[in-house]
Amino acid sequence: MKYMKKPYFFLAALLLSSSAIAQTTPNYGIRVKNSEITTFRNANIQITPDLLLENASMVIRNGLVEAVGTNIKIPADATVIDLNGKYIFPGFIDAFAEYGLGKKEKKKRRDRSGSPKYQADRQGGDSWNDAIHASVNHVESFKPDSIQAKAFHEIGFTTVQSAKLDGIFRGRSFVALLGEGLSNDMVLRPYSHHFLSFDKGSSKQWNPSSLMGSIALIRQTFLDADWYSNAQAAIKKNPNQKMPEFNRECKVVAEVVRDNETFVFETSNKLSLLRANRIATEFGRSFIYIGSGEEYERIDDIAATGAKIILPINYPKTPEVGSFEDELDVSLASLRHWETAPSNPHILEENNITFALTTHGLKKKKDFLSNLRKAIKRGLSKKTALASLTTVPAELCGVEQFTGTLEKGKLANFSIWDKEIFEKEAKIYSVWVAGKKHELKPIPEYEFKGEYALDIDGVDFELEISGKPEKLSGTLELGEEKEYKLKNVEVQGPKLMFSVKLDTLELIGTFRFSGRIKDSSYVGKFTRPDGTRQEFVAAPVEKSAEDEADDDTDKADSESDVEDKEEDKRHKKKSADDNDVDDDEEELIAKLTFPNRAYGLEKLPQQENVLIKNATIWTSEDVGILENYDLLIKDGKFAALGQNLKAPAGVPEIDATGKHITAGMIDEHSHIAISGGVNECTDAVTCEVRIGDVVNSDDLNIYRQLAGGTTTAQLLHGSCNPIGGQAQIIKHRWGSSTEEMKFKNAPPTVKFALGENVKHSNFGDKFTVRYPQTRMGVETLIKDECQAAKEYDADWAVYNKLSSGAKKRTVPPRRDLELEAMSDIVNSRMFIHCHSYHQSEILMLMRVAEEHGFHIQTFTHILEGYKVAPEMAAHGATASTFADWWAYKFEVYDAIPYNMVLMTKAGVVTSINSDNGDLGRRLNQDAAKAVMYGGMSQEEAIKLATLNPAIQLKIDDRVGSIKVGKDADFVIWNNNPLSVYAKAEQTWVDGKKYFDLESDLLMRAAIKQEKQALIQKVLAKSESKKNSDDKPKKHWGERNNFEDYQWQCDDSFDYWEKVNK
Amino acid sequence: MRKNISQYTILCLCLGLILVEQSIAHDYIPGEVQKQPILLARGDLHTVSGGVMLKTDILFENGRITAIGKDLPLPTGGKVIDITGYQVYPGLIAPNSTVGIIEIGQVRATSDISERGRNNPDVQTHIAYNPDSEIIPTVRSNGITTALIVPGGGLIRGRSSLINLDGWTKEDAMEKETIGIHISWPRSSIITAWWMDETAEEQKKKNEENRRKIVKHFDNASSYYIARKADPNLKIDSRWEAMLTVFDKTLPVFIHADDLRQIEQAVDFANNYDVRLIIVGGREAWKTAELLKENDISVMLGSTQRMPMRSDDDYDLSYRLPVLLRDAGVKYCIGLNGGSWSSWGTRNLPFLAGQAVAFGLDYEEALRSLTLSTAEILGVADQIGSLEIGKKATLIVSSGDILDQLTNHVTLMYIEGREVNLDSKQKELYRKYDKKIERRAKAGLSTN
Repeated sequence: MKYMKKPYFFLAALLLSSSAIAQTTPNYGIRVKNSEITTFRNANIQITPDLLLENASMVIRNGLVEAVGTNIKIPADATVIDLNGKYIFPGFIDAFAEYGLGKKEKKKRRDRSGSPKYQADRQGGDSWNDAIHASVNHVESFKPDSIQAKAFHEIGFTTVQSAKLDGIFRGRSFVALLGEGLSNDMVLRPYSHHFLSFDKGSSKQWNPSSLMGSIALIRQTFLDADWYSNAQAAIKKNPNQKMPEFNRECKVVAEVVRDNETFVFETSNKLSLLRANRIATEFGRSFIYIGSGEEYERIDDIAATGAKIILPINYPKTPEVGSFEDELDVSLASLRHWETAPSNPHILEENNITFALTTHGLKKKKDFLSNLRKAIKRGLSKKTALASLTTVPAELCGVEQFTGTLEKGKLANFSIWDKEIFEKEAKIYSVWVAGKKHELKPIPEYEFKGEYALDIDGVDFELEISGKPEKLSGTLELGEEKEYKLKNVEVQGPKLMFSVKLDTLELIGTFRFSGRIKDSSYVGKFTRPDGTRQEFVAAPVEKSAEDEADDDTDKADSESDVEDKEEDKRHKKKSADDNDVDDDEEELIAKLTFPNRAYGLEKLPQQENVLIKNATIWTSEDVGILENYDLLIKDGKFAALGQNLKAPAGVPEIDATGKHITAGMIDEHSHIAISGGVNECTDAVTCEVRIGDVVNSDDLNIYRQLAGGTTTAQLLHGSCNPIGGQAQIIKHRWGSSTEEMKFKNAPPTVKFALGENVKHSNFGDKFTVRYPQTRMGVETLIKDECQAAKEYDADWAVYNKLSSGAKKRTVPPRRDLELEAMSDIVNSRMFIHCHSYHQSEILMLMRVAEEHGFHIQTFTHILEGYKVAPEMAAHGATASTFADWWAYKFEVYDAIPYNMVLMTKAGVVTSINSDNGDLGRRLNQDAAKAVMYGGMSQEEAIKLATLNPAIQLKIDDRVGSIKVGKDADFVIWNNNPLSVYAKAEQTWVDGKKYFDLESDLLMRAAIKQEKQALIQKVLAKSESKKNSDDKPKKHWGERNNFEDYQWQCDDSFDYWEKVNK
Repeated sequence: MRKNISQYTILCLCLGLILVEQSIAHDYIPGEVQKQPILLARGDLHTVSGGVMLKTDILFENGRITAIGKDLPLPTGGKVIDITGYQVYPGLIAPNSTVGIIEIGQVRATSDISERGRNNPDVQTHIAYNPDSEIIPTVRSNGITTALIVPGGGLIRGRSSLINLDGWTKEDAMEKETIGIHISWPRSSIITAWWMDETAEEQKKKNEENRRKIVKHFDNASSYYIARKADPNLKIDSRWEAMLTVFDKTLPVFIHADDLRQIEQAVDFANNYDVRLIIVGGREAWKTAELLKENDISVMLGSTQRMPMRSDDDYDLSYRLPVLLRDAGVKYCIGLNGGSWSSWGTRNLPFLAGQAVAFGLDYEEALRSLTLSTAEILGVADQIGSLEIGKKATLIVSSGDILDQLTNHVTLMYIEGREVNLDSKQKELYRKYDKKIERRAKAGLSTN
């Protein structure tokens, strides 16, 4: 069934009558039939973002705008409200909210025994995964909530798109008015967009426990939906075949896809937005994204998506830098983001990105407007700001026919303000939802403020009444000399009373005044000290523009005189909050670098052609180490290697006398630059997950490893499962986007693991549930997967041979990303890098592979490789090992540092790996340990970190040695690179200099300077806010001034549980 | 008197190789108490206390160094070993190690690092020390003769012991039974990373609560100290009794603290109780050098081969910590990070100093930071830490520079004059499987 593409009949429902609510509901008692016709006059009306009518009128009838303009006829039956120059704005629309759906629930992700919950409790044809509940229509549990609504009203909102913001496929949202009454009457669009996210939320099930797991789940769900609709179609055509399952989630997702509906996808940072967009591209879908406020950091990539964004403006709290000690915890990245975040909406505007603003993410909705004003001050145009609150979200929510502007025929959704909303301290009086008034603050019935000429017994005073309507104050001035403060200022209905103590001429003693406004004059009676009374008429004083200016300062002065100290304090604090809006000339200090943190680059390096002279060149090729050689770098490649080379015209020379050059080092086993968990630990086979989905280009480890001479790494899934996730090879192109970092055309690889980690031996007593728990079980499981892959291929082969007509009548095999990857593995299209230690398991895996006709590309860690090195060589396996780690668990108790030497001797191509961000900075030193333990030659030892890992990754045609034609990835060292005394001075990737010791020193100085300048700026703000009860900002990138998280192979915790705690 | 030299010269021409071969015969039985004088002839002596002395002899008798100089006479019954071209160093001392108190990291039964509870001044590491740990021989074969075995745990961890890495029992191996009491200073930083569960406020509160706990324990201990002095019949409290020597300043307090704020709090704390303080870890000690100098506080640095502590830090900050402290005039030595990886990981100690040399520390200073400086900080500099007459003959001979993995090759080790077996389980496995590979290569894969 198709849902509500044109929900006009609801408009009709609203039109017919708003007093006879919910037509289907019987009436009890006396029917209410209030007049619902109101005319507002003398108002400044923002009809659309482009059109502000001054001094205009608006007629509303039966909840709709009947007429609006400067010259309209006021109907005789209307109640008239004179707004005296106040402002009317269209009701704002929040396209991303959880409204009217009760409280959030939190669940523990363990079953009763304390073990992880591997499987969902199934019922009603639901999904295997509890984070998928696409079939929920949230409108079905909607109940208007006046407390939540009031928080929206206070900032001018009248409409929301709402769903329970929980889970991955979150279900279908609805659009509702923020009014009171029955849900039946409030729903504008009952079946609105589906919501999606990566965060499994309150699902009790362990899977997915990582970001890449969530991505794989989304991907598989779209495929399942596709399969489901084909399967259902086939069974209709031919009922006499094996029946496909009923699955309500697949059904719903299939319908959403069929109807080409847009999903609203919540993301938590800029990289995740881009990740979600890659899913959109893959499945030919378009998503609307919930942004994070950090889009400016990768604005070109975000703009290139062409997507619309629902943008929060929950700026980061002010960093605490009140003391030198506090400052230690504050990173440059957090200071920069604090300063730049308010500019984000304007930067989106400049890049022509369509966005709606949302209050989502704000702890206090009240902060919305002051944050909006900050954005305006940073350049966001008022027009775009208004559109982002009205027309844009109306369209995103599919309710632009009803609301979003105050044009004739639209719902009477609007708010009344004393000033333009962008002005500091603009006050809201009331919000009207479908013509129903929700009063927030009464419009003062009588306006007393102003200056009046007052004659007291022949003496001419100037009376000034100022302050807020609920707290008026004033002065009585006699020329320039005397000024008396009014006391006992009080308003009673139409009357203003005050007393004033005079001591001038004959006027001595306290005079009391009572009066009201009549034809702009203040008229009434005053009482002299002797009790006699006298009538007065104080006419308003006409003022010149210059006076007006003076007046403002006077006003400020007089306001600080307010006697009520509490009030005074509150007021001052408020102005302090708005300081950002006040200073006209705010100097912006923060730089924008790639990535936007300390050591990020302002400009990405360019390819350079250069001739390096007189170096000692460690080629990692048969020619070995060449002394006093020259190396020409051209167009990102090694172009020539020889002696006495001449620089081509225009190519500069670098004298490298005394320097050593090696190929850029390659780490076969790295876990840096990964977001959202390194293990999808929740199943023994997870080759459907892909590290390539979660590369983190912001990780400082990339830069720090460049500083240690490492230029390429294979980012591996952890070792939680016998068959883990797919790996991603990257080059350390610091500053680039995640996609640009990926090593192009490298053959796909996958992580396998054996031994204690996959048996969960060291995870504690709660982890004894999952199969396998022994090395025996690991073998049977892997064999079973290989068999399944073959049968999967066979099923598809049969199906693919069918004629197209027969295909339509046959329930197709289901595309299964896990088995697809397994098929790639058994058919040698994807290559295995297997975490392993014991000789028994090494032999086991080789035999299983041989039995199924594929081979194991690389055993990684492989600390007992020396025991079966000849067997490995015979199988054709390579080995990547730790230089000298051992004794950290039982299975590595026989590890020896001679492993590298012995395996090499047996003919196994051997490399060393880091498995650790820090060790990945010193691969050269670990390679040298092969010289130390067992006396490997230096020529051979350097290959452990260069050519050999390149061979293992099947990228040795591109990198790994200094050979003409290969990529110019190299390191200039000040010493023998195998020595502890060697220091990388320059590190180049693709002929671009990404690390340079000298530039590093300059950056250090610049970072310190920028950081101090930003700290000074924070300190210059009136007060450093102590928001220390805030939970850490989980979802933002690493802006903490603490070591970036170093993923470990056996990190098995639930990432989503961690970030949701 | 040099008449016997020729036969030794022949023996030692290819010393490196021959000694390794010799050690095959050993079953790494602990070295015998020195019976005959030993003269190591014409080596390059890195005395640490008196500079480098090229081609110089060193003589030791009854476990003590008795002479250093050119062409030393060999006492009767003595043995000469010609080590021309070899380097001689004092044995390296590893601070903050756990060798011998944990065998296999993730096998709980093999770990005696941390006792339960947060107030354990009375527990001592030497009690649990296993001199037969397979890890020990692998550590000494890289030049480490002595290790400070440090307990883990929360707040007041226990007492450390300084142990020689050769002996039948821990009693044979004891260098000094009690070195100091170790305290983990509560964290002072506020972490806002995604993995942190607690709010800033909760973190602050917890950190302060833990600090107050240490203060409370010290209040109790110091009251006990006063009462105990006045009344020798006071009932014994095991924990406070263990701390008496802290208050009479015989024993120092080792406070494990990296963050600047932790270090400053620790200094205040030590001054309040008038106890001797040594900072362990000390990653930000260089930021408060003046305070440390004023109070004569030394720093036992953690590993210099690790990530910098903060994301805004220079990439090489850990590597430069020694040079920063040296420049600031703070007394320091280079050590390990503690915990289970500082058992087998102890063997990489020499390279931590080498890394510091690459980043600005001068070589002799680097060597000192693994020997004499460490001995001074531990209060045993009269016994070990340099090649000096009267000190223990705890020394090593290497064919190349000991601080560089490219050249580190220890061929001889003496602990108090006892010749130490340099073989290990790992070398045995090496020889065993080298055989397999050679046999396979000869015979093809079909036979064993």
